Order: sequence, then C-alpha cells, then structure tokens
Amino acid sequence: MDESSRPPVEEPIFEIEGVSKRFDATQALDDVSLQLMPGEVHGLVGENGAGKSTLIKIMTGIYRADEGRMVMGGEPFEPADAAAAQDSGVAAIYQEPSIFPDLTVAENIFIGHQDRGWLVDWKKMMSDAAYLLATLDIDADPAMPAAGLSVAGQQAVEIAKAISLDTKVLIMDEPTAALSAHEVDRLFSQVRSLRDRGVAVLFITHRLDELFVICDRISVFRDGRHISTRPVADVSEESLVREMVGRDPSDFFAREDHPAGDVVLAVDELSLAGKFADVTFEVRRGEVLGFAGLVGAGRTDIGLALFGIAPADRGTVRLDGEPIIISSPNQALANGIAYMSEDRRGLGLSMSQSVAANITLATLERYTRRFGFVDRAAEEADAATLSERLGIKTPGLATPVGNLSGGNQQKAMLAKWLNAEPRVLILDEPTRGIDVGAKADVHKFIDELARSGIAIIVISSDLPEVLAMSDRVAVMREGRLRAILTKEDATQERVMETAVGVV
Amino acid sequence: MAEWVRTHRWEALMLVVVAITIVVNALLSPFYLGLDNFVNLFWLSNEKIIVALIMTFIIISGEIDLSVSSVMGFSAAVMATLHEIEAVPFGVAVLGGLAAGALAGLTQGLVITRFGLPSLVVTLAGLIGFRGGARVLMEDESVGDFPAWFDTMGQQKIAGPFPVALLIFFVGLAVAWVLLERSALGRKVYVTGNSADVARYSGVDVDGLKLRLFTVSGLVSGVAGVLFAARLGSVRGSLAEFFELDIITMVLLGGVSIFGGVGSMLGVALAIFAVLNIRNGLGLANVDGIIQTGVIGSLLIGSVLVPNLAQRVRVRSRRLSRAHAPP
Amino acid sequence: MTGSSTSAVRRMRPDRIKELTLLGIIAVTVVVFGLLIDGYLSGRFFNRVSTSVVIVAILAAAQALVIVSRNIDLSVGSTVGVAAYLTADFLTANQWASPALAILVAMAVGAVFGSFNGLLVAYGKVPAIIVTLGTLALFRTVISLYAGGVNVVAGDLPDWVLDFNNVTIFSIRGFDLRMVFVIAVFVVFILQWALRRLRVGRRLYAIGSNPDAAEQASLAAPRLIFLSFVGSGALAGLAGFMFMIRAGTISATAGAGLELEAVAAAVVGGVSIFGGSGTIFGSFLGAVLINTLELSLVRVPAVSEFWRDATLGILILAAVILDATLHRRFSRRLTREIAGAEDDLGPIPATPALEGGGAADG
Repeated sequence: MDESSRPPVEEPIFEIEGVSKRFDATQALDDVSLQLMPGEVHGLVGENGAGKSTLIKIMTGIYRADEGRMVMGGEPFEPADAAAAQDSGVAAIYQEPSIFPDLTVAENIFIGHQDRGWLVDWKKMMSDAAYLLATLDIDADPAMPAAGLSVAGQQAVEIAKAISLDTKVLIMDEPTAALSAHEVDRLFSQVRSLRDRGVAVLFITHRLDELFVICDRISVFRDGRHISTRPVADVSEESLVREMVGRDPSDFFAREDHPAGDVVLAVDELSLAGKFADVTFEVRRGEVLGFAGLVGAGRTDIGLALFGIAPADRGTVRLDGEPIIISSPNQALANGIAYMSEDRRGLGLSMSQSVAANITLATLERYTRRFGFVDRAAEEADAATLSERLGIKTPGLATPVGNLSGGNQQKAMLAKWLNAEPRVLILDEPTRGIDVGAKADVHKFIDELARSGIAIIVISSDLPEVLAMSDRVAVMREGRLRAILTKEDATQERVMETAVGVV
Repeated sequence: MAEWVRTHRWEALMLVVVAITIVVNALLSPFYLGLDNFVNLFWLSNEKIIVALIMTFIIISGEIDLSVSSVMGFSAAVMATLHEIEAVPFGVAVLGGLAAGALAGLTQGLVITRFGLPSLVVTLAGLIGFRGGARVLMEDESVGDFPAWFDTMGQQKIAGPFPVALLIFFVGLAVAWVLLERSALGRKVYVTGNSADVARYSGVDVDGLKLRLFTVSGLVSGVAGVLFAARLGSVRGSLAEFFELDIITMVLLGGVSIFGGVGSMLGVALAIFAVLNIRNGLGLANVDGIIQTGVIGSLLIGSVLVPNLAQRVRVRSRRLSRAHAPP
Repeated sequence: MTGSSTSAVRRMRPDRIKELTLLGIIAVTVVVFGLLIDGYLSGRFFNRVSTSVVIVAILAAAQALVIVSRNIDLSVGSTVGVAAYLTADFLTANQWASPALAILVAMAVGAVFGSFNGLLVAYGKVPAIIVTLGTLALFRTVISLYAGGVNVVAGDLPDWVLDFNNVTIFSIRGFDLRMVFVIAVFVVFILQWALRRLRVGRRLYAIGSNPDAAEQASLAAPRLIFLSFVGSGALAGLAGFMFMIRAGTISATAGAGLELEAVAAAVVGGVSIFGGSGTIFGSFLGAVLINTLELSLVRVPAVSEFWRDATLGILILAAVILDATLHRRFSRRLTREIAGAEDDLGPIPATPALEGGGAADG
C-alpha cells in the first residue's frame, strides 16, 4: 500500500482490547480497552491503584494479560519481555530512568541496538548522539558518563534512545514528578517533537494542569476499569476529578464519632530539603488523622522523619507539649512514636523469621533478661495475645512469617507496632494489596486503637479509605501540606482537587 | 523426628555426612574411635574452629571477613614483638596482641560502616595489609621462649584429656550457640542478614551491630592467634596463613547462607566436625596436605552451588506443576 | 563547576582523569626515590621494573576484565601455577616447540581453568568470591596431583626459555626495551581496544554499571560473564608463561599469592570494585606503581623489605575509599538536583481550611 492510497482517517497504531489482569486478591485491570493514534499525546489519569502501572507493564511485556489482546499496526502484539517490546517499537520511560551511570550518554542512547556488528563506531555514535540531542534541544555532552546528568537529563537521554530505536509507542510514567518548571517546559517541547514524528505518546501524570498543556486526548481509569476517553477540549479539571474519584465508600467500615482527647503530637514547620517543607499539624489522643495526596507528595517522608529514619532538617516536634528530637528509630520508639511501613516485604517484615520473632522485633529489649537472653515464654505469650486480638491466621507462632498470606502478614506487621505500645502510631498504606476481609479487619482494628487513646496517622492513597477512617484529613501536594479538612468538609472531590492542585 | 528433618534439612544432611565420615575414618584407622584421638582431632584445628564461631555471626549478618587469618598472624606478631622488649611483662604482651586484634577488627568495621563499602573489599585489603603488618614486625625471624604457663596453656592437657585451649573452643561454642539462637543480639543478627532495611525500620542499630561484630571478629581472631602461638611455642610472620579457606568453608558447609539471614550453630558445629573428619581421613589415607586443601575448596563451592541448583530445580518443578494445573 | 576555564576539565572522561592522576603519582614516586637514593634513575633499574612488572601487569588486566562486571577472580595465582607447570612440562617433552606455540599452550590451559570459574559464576550463580576462593585451592591441588612432587627444572627446558626474558628489541644508553615488556604492553593495548571498541566490551561495562538495567535490555549477561572469566584465565595462562621463563624451575607452588597483587594493581589502577568503570590502561599503571614502589622501597635502607604487603593493603584501602567517596559525591549531586527541582514549587496557596480544620476539632 503506497502513501497516496491511505485513507484520510488515521488507523490507531496501538490497540488494547478487553485486557484484564488479576493479582491474588486484587483485580488490577478489568476489561480495559484503549486506542492510541500515531502522532497523538494521550493523557492517562487515575487514582493510585487505578491500574495504570499494570497497564504499562502489560504493554511493555513485563506482565502478561489474563484476558484480552493487544494489536500494533494491525498485527497481534505479544512481547515476550521488555526488550522484545522495545524491538517492536513500544518503550517506556519511568519517573526514575534506568540508565547505565558509568557509560557515556551516547552509549546509553545506543546500547539497546542489537546485532549491529562487533565494533562500536565511536565517531559515528558520538555524532549521531550529538545530532539527536540537538534536535531534541538537550544540552548534554554525548561523551560524558550519564551519571553526571540530572534526572531531567537522564529522561531526555531515554527519549533520544526511544527515537533512535524508531519507537512507535512511547509510554511516559510520571516523567515530570522530579522536574523543575523549566525542565518540564523543555520535556514538553521534546514530547511535541516526538508527536510530530508520528509517535503515539501515552502520558501518565498526576498534575492535571499538565494534561491540558500537552495532551490531545485524555483517558480516565478507576479501580482497574476504563471510565472515559475524550478529546482535551471536551474535559475540564473538575470533570476529570469527578471521574477519577466517584468510588462507592459504602463497603467501608463506618466509624462512630468519639471525642478526641488532648494534643499528643504537635508538628511545627517541619521541613526536609527536597522532600517536604513547612508542615504543621497536630494529632490528639484517640484521633485518626488521615494523610491524603498523590504518591510522591511527601506523606511517607513525613512518616520517615517522625520515625527518625530520615530526620527533618528544620522545624519542631512536640510530644505532650515538650519539644523532642528524633534522630533515630530508637529515639522515636522511646518517645512512643511507631511507623508501619507501606513496603511489607522490603521494610516491614523479616520474612524468614517466625511470626513471634517479628511481632517482638521492635521491642526485643522488653524480653531481654540477664546475659542478653530472650525470654521466649514471655515473648510467645505476648505474640499469642496479639495474634488472637488481630485474628492472625497462622499454623503456629514459630512459622516463618513469609509463609502467611498477605493479609495475615499485614496483621503481623501491625501487631509488631502495637506491641511497642505506641502513643502515636503512623500507618503507611495499612491495607495495600490485601483482600477485602483482611482490609475490613484492619479498619475495625484502627478504630479500636483510636478508642483506646492512641493518636493515629493514616497515610493512604485509597481515597474512600482515608475518608472513612479519618476524623480529619490532611492533604499534601508537592511536599507541602495544602489543607486540613474536617470530616464534614472532606469529600472525595474536595480532597482530590486539593491533591492534584485544582483550586 | 520427621518434622525436625523437614525443618532442618541441611542439618540432617550434615548429620549423615558426619556419620559417613566417622565410619570411613573408623575403617581407615583402628585408633580413630578413641577419646584421645577425638581430642587431637579438634585440638589440631582449634584456632580455625574458634574463628569459625564468630565467622558464623558475620556471614549470617550478611557480611564476610576475609581478614581473619591475617589478623591472627598480626595479633601473634604484636604479642611476640612486645615480648621481645625486656621491660614489658608477658601478660601485657598477650593483652597487647589481643588489643591489636580488636583494633584491627574495629578499623575495618569503621571503614565498612562509615564509607558504606562492601566488607568483601575492605577485609580483602585487611587480608593483605594485616599479613603485611605481621611481616613487618617479624621480618623472617621466629620468636619463641614464652613463659612456661603460656606453653602449658597451649600444649598441656589439664582438665582430664583436654588442653585448656580446646576448652576455650567448647565454651565458645556453647556461648555462641546461646547468643545466636537465644539472645536478642542473635535475633538482630538474623534480621539484619535477612534484610538490613527491615532491621533498621524496626529500630535496630544496624551500623552499630556490624561495628561490634567486626570488632569481636578481630578480637576472637586475636585470641586464636595467641592460642596458636602458644600451641606452636613460637611466632612467625606467616602464622595462620590461608586459614580463611577452611574457616569460611566450615561456616558455609554448615548451611549458613552466603547471602545472610539463614543458618544455625548446630549446622556449623556439624560441618566443623565433618571437615575435621575429612581432613583426618585424608591424612590417614596418606593424602598430601595440598590435595586436602583442594578438597576443602571443592566443599566450599559445593556448599553454595548445591542449594542454588536445588532451588532452581524446585522453582522449575513448581512452574511445571502450575503449567499443568487446570485453568 | 561553572565558567569556561573549567570546561576542558569537565569534558575529560573520568577514566582519563584517573589515568593521568596515576601517571602523576608514578612520576612523583620516581622523583622522590630519585632524591632519596643515589643512582636510582639508571637503565638497570628501568630494566628491572620493566621486566618484573610484566606478570602483575597481565594479571591486573585479567582482574580488570572480571571486576568491570562486578566480579572478582582470586584464582589467578593458582592458574599461573597450573599454566606455568603444564607449559614447562609440554616444553620438556617437545623441545622443538617455538615460543609462540608455548604461549598458545599456556593461554589455552588458562582458558580451560578460567571456563570452570565462569561456568560456576555465570550459570551456577555462585558468587565469584566463593568460586574463586575455592578454585584458588582446587587448581593448586590439580597441579600438585599432576606434578606428584616433581619439579620441572631449567635444564630440561629448551634453551630459548631462559634467554627469552632478556631478549631485547633495542637499547638506548642502558635502557632496554625487552620483548616480554613489549608483549605485556601489546596485550594491554589489545584489551584496552577490545573493551572500548568491541560491542561485547561495552556490554561488560553495562552489566557491571547497572545489572538490573542490563537484564532489562537483554544484554546476555551470563554468557558475557562466562567469557570474561575465560579471558581472565587465558591471561593468567600468559602470565604463567612469563612466570616460567623468569623462574626456570617450576614447582607446584608457582605463582602463589599473585592474586592479591593482581587485585591490588587493578583497584589501585582505578578499576571500581562496584563495577562498570575503570580501564585496562589504568590497571597497567596500577601494576607499574605497585611494582615501582616494591622495587624502590627495597633500596631505601631504613625500610625493611617486609613492608611490601603492608603497603599493598594500605594502597588498596586508600583506592577503595577514594572510589567510594567519588561514587557518593556523584549520587549526592543527583539527589541535590532532584531536591532543587522541588524547591521550584510555587508559593503555597493560602488555605483557609487549614485553620478551619484545626479549629473545628478543638
């Protein structure tokens, strides 16, 4: 077929048809369909957990869909792995680019090119790279190691790589998250030049304003389902937010109001360079303070600062009115502040250790007797009590915690921090990746804890959850606390608008 | 029993290996099965097996210490050098040797924790550097003439058939066993080796723990070096050279994972016994020392390779059974 | 770094900077010893260094080859012994053999033993340190079994063997250019070229620089790692040949301890122990520096000859700490730039809800 015989209406370059994907308890993608046109920038938005990452991983061959199929240029598209997807013209650029820091910029652009003979033609590679970088208006020396580049520079290198590989479909996953305003402008001009070359760009971002600057069409995902796809002219920030949220909160545990006590923790102008700035809030006895916001808004960093993993560099923290200094987890624990990580596997549990050992890990000193012996009877008694209280299903307390189901692991992690008898308990994504039953258990338990007088901070990207569980909701965006809403004021729309910056 | 075997597969395997080596040794020599011979068996490798105890902690915590044999030599050399000085009482010289060992370990621990360097490289530098230190101190001389009590400690059987030095191993084994599997410290060692991040996020002072482990590793190597000097009756710059191979082999053969977090003192104790039996049996069969070393080297590789391959077979069969399962 | 005056420095590759720094250190070392020792800067001394550096220089290249992909080869010393012994044995039986054939035999022997390491590391997934610590002992055992306590003595070897070390290509005022030195330099050039110009060479760097990204890009990591160990073995074989012509009499313990010197030379030569960076030229300069120091220290009366190992240990530690510090500076700079990006945040919008929320709860 020659150029002239092409129909004027363009065919989609890439089609996703009825794709579904399930992980144990979660339906990550549910019968999703999407079409990408050549030469369009297609925005994709959705809450955390809406299924965007899963879609990227299926498109780039990292996961395989349970159902449905993908079509590229009229042919079925079934990549075996990321390299195969890249060879057939589908590539992804992530928020943190995966580069080879010791290799030169030029090599990073061209290393993926397979089967081009034995020799590296440095001169040609350098001039090709210089040409590519120049057309993209990227100020980088192709002969320097990529380690010297900023994040923006590394992304630019990945864009150059995509062009050199003749990429047809380029997925950009929150590429602007770590960029300054000036760098974002430059990135956009690079994206436009990609578009002008006929590349279909799938652009994922949490910054809604960016969508209107760069995108031709915008799709919204929610709970693993495709909600809408419209030309940018037909959508407003408000309509997007409405479509992104709109989940039914009725399946959540309904908390009864109960009065909060005195202020336990007061945080004043807390800052950590590059993470968060001037954060001020307080939590009371028996209160649940929710932290809403997008991933990377600085919520976890505040948790880590209060727990002494990455201490703040400015501001004060008061406990019962007394200023305290927290420079290590030990100090935090001594002050009654506990932090439950969102990363169960990497940071939360010691998987090959027993359930009991994990539950007592943060409080080992309490069970340490003369000569450093661990009093295993006392340890197991406490572990048994907590295990029963939380309803942890395990063959035994000596079972390695890694053998438990996700929900029970989560409960074991919660038990570990309860055992520390904290006065302030920070829970980071307490129900991520666990099934509905376990989720309800955890919610019920958080309520019980609050009633018993613990001040609780819940960091959650699950909007209905954070609204159902919290007495007040703090909303963060880009490292700053933008609002603290009362339960009455905190609607899904209001919180999401604040989180994405539609005001 | 079946339950124990299921949860202690490697220890069970080691038990079988030990049993086989006992039988083979007994067949090779009619004298093997005597108490005196067993005492000798351990005594002749006493210094290595003492260091293997602390090496178990180090490897379970996810690190490695390649410098132990050089630190042994260095400590003994410091002791001998101090002994040469008239004004220094011998007790002080011994303490000096032990302090040198602890200091060597502390230095390496500081470099590892402060600069975030892999212990592999730092202790490789230590392996070369502290051996160099021993050579500088001793040159090509041999220093002996230690007080009688010192030689007695190293050479005489005091408590029944046991030399004092050997008692140190058995007491050490008991202490290490309890510490590793019953104490808070041991718990932290396992958790750190399993994931240093989880440990940190649970309030464990990971850097402090590593610093302590490397310092104690230096101190224990110092003790072993001094004991070796007592047993030999003299010190040379090459004292304890190349011991690290046997020591690390004993620990890994004992089922301790080179990646940290996994292992037991029982496994290491059995592996120590197995290695000693193998060396003894090879000796009885008139096998040359250098060939024995090759056997140990093969054991070292095998102790990591075999679990790796087993793991891969298990993963593959699981994948196969999943593939054949009905949809 | 800003301003045009620094742009020349900025444009220089870090590897080149490392190499020039080493050259500078070598020059300073020579000058300092020249001032300390009378008649230090003589042709004889140059000839001694240039012949004795050959073995370590080749082994350092072998080590660099595996370290760039985040591995290590502690068995090179034993491989030297194996290759030296077997080659000497071969020459005893085949007196007619030429030097080129002998070199080929030595390298083939080394490659076979290296492939054993490569197999276990690349496909058995056993850490290189464990494999090569084991084969350090195992290879030595193989040679002992083969030798059965018999040494190959110089008298049994063809006549050219012992003369080979002194074959001089040309000589200017006592400064000889020896054949062995030329071979070593040739090897260094070939390898430097291969690692820089061959696609597989660059991939080896990529694997060491970011193993996860390398796997994502399907860079065939196991096969390349296997080949790098075969190469390391072959080079150790060549070093074995050099050992043979130097020693004449070959026992089963030939080459023991050389592995540590090789690692030291590579690391001091700027080959990063974290993988991904360093050059063969650098490792060569590292070998030259270490060798010069060793041969020079011996001639300073106040310093005992036993300082050798201690110096090596200190040099390695210094090189590694320096490397780690540079590494960290790079990553810190990156995070600072990310931080800078967030500092660009616009002014905080006034949020009446902030006070409202607090008050409503009181």
